[in-house]
Amino acid sequence: MIRSFADMDRLASEKGPKRLVVLAPEDEEFMMAVKKSAEEGYTRPVLIGDREKMERLADQVQFDISGAEKIYEKSRQAIADLGISMLFSGEVDIAGKGQIPTAYIYRAIIREESKAGKGKVVSVISMWDIEGLDHLTCFTDTGVNITPDYRAKTEILRNAVFLFHLLGYPKPKICVLSGKREIGGDMPSYQDYLELKKAAASGELGSCEVMGATSFLDIFCPGQKDFRLGSIDIGKAEFPHIMLVPNLATGNILVKLDFALKNVRRRSLVMSSRGPVIIPSRSDFQDSILGEIAAGVTVAEQIKGGAAS
Amino acid sequence: MMTSFDQIREEAKTRGKKKMVIAPVPAEMDFNVLSAALDSGLVSPVVIGSSDAVASWVKGQGKKASEIEMVEESDAVKALALGIDRLKKGEADILMRGAMDPKRFLVAILDKEKGLLKERVASLVSIFDPPGVGRVTMATDTYVNSFPSIAEKVTITENVIRLARLLGFSSPKIAALSAIEQVNPAIPSTMDAAILSKMAERCQFGDVTLEGPLDIDCAVSRRAATRKGVHSAVTGQGDIYLMPNVEAGFLMAELSVFIGKTPMACALMGTSHPVVLNLPFVPAENRLTEIELAVLLSGRV
Repeated sequence: MIRSFADMDRLASEKGPKRLVVLAPEDEEFMMAVKKSAEEGYTRPVLIGDREKMERLADQVQFDISGAEKIYEKSRQAIADLGISMLFSGEVDIAGKGQIPTAYIYRAIIREESKAGKGKVVSVISMWDIEGLDHLTCFTDTGVNITPDYRAKTEILRNAVFLFHLLGYPKPKICVLSGKREIGGDMPSYQDYLELKKAAASGELGSCEVMGATSFLDIFCPGQKDFRLGSIDIGKAEFPHIMLVPNLATGNILVKLDFALKNVRRRSLVMSSRGPVIIPSRSDFQDSILGEIAAGVTVAEQIKGGAAS
Repeated sequence: MMTSFDQIREEAKTRGKKKMVIAPVPAEMDFNVLSAALDSGLVSPVVIGSSDAVASWVKGQGKKASEIEMVEESDAVKALALGIDRLKKGEADILMRGAMDPKRFLVAILDKEKGLLKERVASLVSIFDPPGVGRVTMATDTYVNSFPSIAEKVTITENVIRLARLLGFSSPKIAALSAIEQVNPAIPSTMDAAILSKMAERCQFGDVTLEGPLDIDCAVSRRAATRKGVHSAVTGQGDIYLMPNVEAGFLMAELSVFIGKTPMACALMGTSHPVVLNLPFVPAENRLTEIELAVLLSGRV
């Protein structure tokens, strides 16, 4: 079981290098992360992008790309299409987003999934490594579906359950987050929770369990009326592996609170049917991009090893 | 400008003793905070209702018991109506929710005729005092309105600005949050944020800087914002975060408390008198701060 980002880094180092196609590494932080991933033995990168920009940046960060496979292309959509098709054809193990609008990548994934007859809903899974928690957790969907309906939520959950199976969690616990509180009635997200709980119980979502909690208060203080900050112990809480967010705005705001909180770190990816696509935020810096690459390498390795089967 | 809960406490102590109605009778968990409020000389409680637990609590207050007024009313709804009436008549300053579920309590106090609603909508402001940061930040609406319209968001914004000014923020910096920092018609909260931002630019909220839409990384980190090409006085310096909907607001407040272990107190805005809601997601350590905030708001809402 992969319990932490440190576990991922170790595994990436041991099981790498994996073939990573990098889509438009045209920014210094990003190129530096790719360089480090090669140096750490995580990846053997294939670079697709604007020749002049890639060469200039590689030079700036002193990354010798003379031996790396390079494909020169300026069109953003063509870069996304080519890279994602390489992932789906098995030429590479991981795809990684550089300086390219995320929507182009999602579009390319949806096309390839459709060609492969999978027709999967594309969703972003943002993992959190929280200090004091002995397992990984994640928020999903934090990137694609603006207001997913019930059907989309089942697909989003299947993607996350698949990922957690790969990471060695045979029956991940799911918390369907909702803004349901004492007032405001049963919100749509709460009604979805009730249905998803039934769906999980009937095995429709694969091996997983939907918990009875829909908020952090429920998770940490089930049935209690009062709590003290000083007595909160995340290690003792029944903390979920997967947190389904009700909508994109909520997901984005929650998951990127790592910018304000000191005790959490984040790594995001899209679980395509052929392998991981890492989706660093445009505001991420080289260390977190490197971490996301390690996550991609780990997942690719687990797929190769048949960990989810 | 008050930059910590400690400063809020010190300021509240300078405002003179306020009469605080608790109706209906306090729930078990409220007694500790009531004792603390009584001990600190902030309030004289008026307890409306009847229970043995109240009688024994009053007895346990020693000399201060004489400062507590007891009003007998065994019916919870009538007890609350009596409390609201006292506020309306100017016989009390603050209302605190006792042992009544928040829904029934809010329905009663937000009734336009019989209740205390003053503005278009009431909204909850969660105030955070993250250790080591050296300033408080606010997020709203974290409880009352599920999916506010733009008109309601305007009032929610005015409500929080009023609180910020009372806390000494003469020109608060406000981030109107959404999923992304670009205006995208497919994401309505980006449009709402852009409208609020334009209204602020035209000084419709007075002396504030309001930027939106901003995503949370741009809002909390100037370094991240710069990397995304977003340049604003608000990035990394925000005093107030306007939440796109209550799912984001409520869950963000809870996450900050439970995972971030961030001290948080809440204030209800938009009512004619300060109301302490005593909500379950507020840490016990910060319940007294809510009374102190109500003291600061008294006579100034």
